[in-house]
Amino acid sequence: MLKIENLHVEVEGKPILRGIDLEINAGEVHAIMGPNGSGKSTLAYVLAGREGYEVTEGQVLYKGQDLIELAPEARAAEGVFLGFQYPVAIPGVSNIYFLKAALNAIRKHRGQDPLDAIDFMKLSKEKAALVQLSDDLTKRSVNDGFSGGEKKRNEIFQMAMLEPSLAVLDETDSGLDIDALKVVAEGVNALRGPERAMLVITHYQRLLDHIVPDVVHVLIDGRIVRTGNKDLARQLEADGYAEVRGGMQP
Amino acid sequence: MTETGPRLLTSLPEAFDEGPAWFRTLRERAAGSLRDHGLPTKKTEAWRFTPVRSIVDGSFDREDDGLPRVTSPLPDGVTVRSLRDVLAEEPSLLEDRLGRTPVDHFGALNTSLFTDGLWIHVAASVAAGSVIELDHGFAGSAPSSPTVRYPRVLVTLEPGSQATLIETYGGDRPGSLTNSVMEVDLGSNALLHHVRIHEQNGLQVGYVDVRQDRDSRYHSVVATLGGALLRFDVRVHLEAPGAQCQLDGAYFVDGSDHVDHHTLVEHKAPHCRSAQTYRGIASGRGTAVFDGIVVVHRDAQKTEAHQENRNLLLSETATVHTKPHLEIDADDVVCSHGATVGSLDHDQLFYLRARGIPEDMARAILTYAFIEAVVDRVSDPATRERLREAVLARIPEGEAIRGVT
Repeated sequence: MLKIENLHVEVEGKPILRGIDLEINAGEVHAIMGPNGSGKSTLAYVLAGREGYEVTEGQVLYKGQDLIELAPEARAAEGVFLGFQYPVAIPGVSNIYFLKAALNAIRKHRGQDPLDAIDFMKLSKEKAALVQLSDDLTKRSVNDGFSGGEKKRNEIFQMAMLEPSLAVLDETDSGLDIDALKVVAEGVNALRGPERAMLVITHYQRLLDHIVPDVVHVLIDGRIVRTGNKDLARQLEADGYAEVRGGMQP
Repeated sequence: MTETGPRLLTSLPEAFDEGPAWFRTLRERAAGSLRDHGLPTKKTEAWRFTPVRSIVDGSFDREDDGLPRVTSPLPDGVTVRSLRDVLAEEPSLLEDRLGRTPVDHFGALNTSLFTDGLWIHVAASVAAGSVIELDHGFAGSAPSSPTVRYPRVLVTLEPGSQATLIETYGGDRPGSLTNSVMEVDLGSNALLHHVRIHEQNGLQVGYVDVRQDRDSRYHSVVATLGGALLRFDVRVHLEAPGAQCQLDGAYFVDGSDHVDHHTLVEHKAPHCRSAQTYRGIASGRGTAVFDGIVVVHRDAQKTEAHQENRNLLLSETATVHTKPHLEIDADDVVCSHGATVGSLDHDQLFYLRARGIPEDMARAILTYAFIEAVVDRVSDPATRERLREAVLARIPEGEAIRGVT
């Protein structure tokens, strides 16, 4: 599904990612853990196609094609989804109409007819229930006046609507209390499937108690320094990143 | 006035001999002020950004009375009469109403030269839901050379009455000048919703001058969707306690358009409120100007006044001048003002695109959302829908989002 090879990325001339190798197969959930500033969010943005992130070396193959070549909307249409760490508010643009535009743009890209209003509403009701997002929130302006938890639930709601092949979830747990975390995690788990790959980026192990990963990577200073199973996350929680960092080759 | 003087003033008569004495005096004063002070130039502060030369040095044939047409059935209690007729038959009815507020420059020009006008009178009994539509489009086919017309409208709402007035300026008459004046008089507790839609390709200089009595409310929404050169001044005089006004506007410029909105709100009495929200979109080589003044007079304690102007610059060659300002002589007031000029938000744009929305469409969605805040303020649903359609037609890629917003 996703194959990242020797990926180097600079932001404003400053190297952030320094040679990432990562392969995720359909049906797998990988977690990337790392301290602040290690390059976690950069990796997420590079995959989604944000401007200002320059790939200086290496490549990213998604379903066999060069992902970096594609515009953000083309990546989304091909099935890449980014769950934002800080979802932006868009006053004046209704959540539900925005999502309808997105879904129908993706359907068009896939050669499918647009969903009509009735089918769309039916689908959105069903998916909103998955993350307990109220009707009121689906109709309000995108993320406008949403609490931290509501924003994150809205991200997962959108993911459920768009049914991506590859979901990159950037710090989906940040700003969530334990109850909201459970709701979000249950929403994510409901979307796990043999056709879908997920990359879950987090600072803390807490999220991974609820979204149990198949593989855990530790990202420090722009490199993956350790890869293991879910027990690696627990070990990090107990020992801290300093332990891993201390063991790194200079 | 310089030796040759602006061409536009050559049509000023030497003397006024029609109508009652007070009306002749009104016109003589207006013409006198023009003879003494001329028309504005680039050096006139309030006209600094307006390319006024193309107007004052233009050569125009006098077209007609410039009377707008009433295009809606008149509600009971609403009458529309010709100003010329009333001046001839019952001039005393107009003595305290017409030309009560001195209007400078082009206002004086209109006062000197209008040949007829409309008096829209709303009786005290008229309640909410009464809609009056005025069409300022051109009658007949376009003449071979540029023309000038001087539309004049007086609107009187008797105490306690309510009405919605919708004005549309449409049609294509490049190089022709429309110099309009509308005077609005709101009796105590009266409420007027006033919508103006400008889609005319030509030169326009207009005034709306509003006087408000106790507890009256005036709500104006202007949408400027086209116009080679448009300069509009809205002046509101809050003359008695409890009067409120809300002035909202949306404007677009592209090509080499110049759109210039000036507002003046005079808080002359205590416990009055005013609020202004103007939003504009500038692209191409267009120029947009917003200049708003709120004056709070010494006795106008407990005034609340807010003023906001936000602009979206969609090209590097477009220009926006924004100048909201306050002059406050009272000490117990709540006032705010602010202005912004910016481009589309990159984070919002990326968010939409990351969800699969093509870039052009994402831009259209955000552009429309920016202006929708003003469109939503139109209370009459049919007019709101009409404005929405007109705005979508004006936004690049607006067609693409018609079913989306």
